Amino acid sequence: MKVEKISRSPLEELKRHVGVIQEAFKQAVIPDRVTIEYPRERRKYPENLRGFIVLDKSRCISCFRCAQICPANAIQMSYFENFYPGIDYTKCIFCHFCVESCPTGALASSTLHDMAFKSLEDMKVKPNQMMRLPAAIREDVQSVEYDVTKKGWRLIRKMELEDIKVVRILPKLKPRRAFCLEPESCLGCRQCMEVCPHEAIVMERCEITLEGQIVGKGCVLKITEKCVGCGLCVRQCPMKILSLKEVE
Amino acid sequence: MISTLFEIFKSNMVQIPLIQPIIDYLMQIPLINFIVALILWRPFFAVVIIPGLTVLLLYLLYIVWFERKLTARVQWRVGPLEVARPIRGAIQALADGLRYFFQEAIVHKEAHRPYFVQLPILAFIPILLPIAFIPAGNVVGIKSPYAVQLVVAFLALIPITIIAIGWASNNRFAFIGSVREALIYVSYEIPFIIAVSSMIYLYGSGDPYVAVEKQSIVPGAIMNPIAFLVFIIAMLMATSRLPFEIPEADQEIAFGPFVEYSGMLFGLVMVLAYEKLYVMALLFVILFLGGWSGFYCELLGDLNAPLWLFIKTIIVISILAIVRSMYARYRIDQAVRYSFSWLIALSIVALVIGIAVGWIV
Repeated sequence: MKVEKISRSPLEELKRHVGVIQEAFKQAVIPDRVTIEYPRERRKYPENLRGFIVLDKSRCISCFRCAQICPANAIQMSYFENFYPGIDYTKCIFCHFCVESCPTGALASSTLHDMAFKSLEDMKVKPNQMMRLPAAIREDVQSVEYDVTKKGWRLIRKMELEDIKVVRILPKLKPRRAFCLEPESCLGCRQCMEVCPHEAIVMERCEITLEGQIVGKGCVLKITEKCVGCGLCVRQCPMKILSLKEVE
Repeated sequence: MISTLFEIFKSNMVQIPLIQPIIDYLMQIPLINFIVALILWRPFFAVVIIPGLTVLLLYLLYIVWFERKLTARVQWRVGPLEVARPIRGAIQALADGLRYFFQEAIVHKEAHRPYFVQLPILAFIPILLPIAFIPAGNVVGIKSPYAVQLVVAFLALIPITIIAIGWASNNRFAFIGSVREALIYVSYEIPFIIAVSSMIYLYGSGDPYVAVEKQSIVPGAIMNPIAFLVFIIAMLMATSRLPFEIPEADQEIAFGPFVEYSGMLFGLVMVLAYEKLYVMALLFVILFLGGWSGFYCELLGDLNAPLWLFIKTIIVISILAIVRSMYARYRIDQAVRYSFSWLIALSIVALVIGIAVGWIV
């Protein structure tokens, strides 16, 4: 195979050479580079950046949803007072499904993405370490922002420091409540009642006396207004007759 | 004997009005006055201080950093930065040099040990000898009417040491590198010598003083622009810089003839091309840019001419450094074809122009 020789007019060649020299000198004087000098400069991240996950203990209802939805199996619930999630950052892929699945907004994201751990063991973060942001050593003196236009990228440097604390955004979920689909299949095992953190499920008395009389109403369990729709009872029910439904 | 030497030194000292009080004071102290007289003795001052060794060292520290930084800027990188951050990593070359100095210099089993070790040091001889002949006003090592020819002759010796280095390394990359060096050597040397001889015809002499005197009104670059162009291209080829980085080609043969070197020996061979560039740029400034002529400052006295020569050289080299980031590397056949067709043709045109202008002037 023979490669054909590209022939251009000498004028075109000269024009290209001039263009190259012009561009090189332009770049040497004012470069278009967009490199961030990382520890000294910090890029301004959007507020919905998926970074270190913070836990609000008072909101957590131990529903285990985060642990169940985690695709990397990184969340382990550990017990003190109640079950709280702890994240293993060796496994975490920062998908933040846990934050989005949390029904009460106990888990929240932060813009802190550059974490350093002393050992592999330290990467398994305990729930009590997740209550607040870890101690940060900040060397940055200015914050940087990318300005992306159709012409190209540009860096905007500002002398102000970026705040890495997060504003906790409460999830905008429609209120849901547990409903019993087939009350007649209920075993009366009362596991749902025991698991409910808000004591929303009330078991009404319903038993047959020795004389053959039925005391109480027909419905076995009643879900009261206290229900927040966490779905713990739905998971616990051995007969799978409970379900979550949206209420207006 | 010492007193006769002292008299010789004293009779031919560099006159700098700015530091004259200090020199007068030092000259009264015994033993120190001998050292001061030796340093300020014109031939010694030219070879060791400026435009010689000391300034060459400063230039090396500057150019290595500057070239890396400039290339980085054009390629949207940052370049050396962490060594001395406030001055943007300007002492990076010094840090590297110190590191080379304390690093173990490994001589591998297959190398020809005596030549492998001594050739980097021998390569300094053809670098330092031209500096003795290059004058800067009154400050001159050896005054010779054939200085330009001598410098060209010494420059032609450097590739021989590089080829010998490649042979002594006994490595396949080094072999390829030294063969390429030989190939490039034959292709740049002829146009280079013709371009220089065209300027010698133009000035009618190989004496730098005559050349500078004749450039007092119009610089040589305007009198013979073709020779100017040929000299620049030959300079790029001779110092194996992009787009003619063929003997060293990092991506293909990993620094070519110098692939086996480490430690201080590598430090010596790495700066070889830069030193060659310095000597060639000195010659370039003398032949084309009016040499050491420039604005005269009373306070500096004799230091004026060397300073002007050095500043012009640094500017020329700094402009040449940007070529590295503009063009891609030529293939060997392209470079050889280019030099044997276009460059030789251009240099012959330059020779004709040189003879014609020299005849008119």
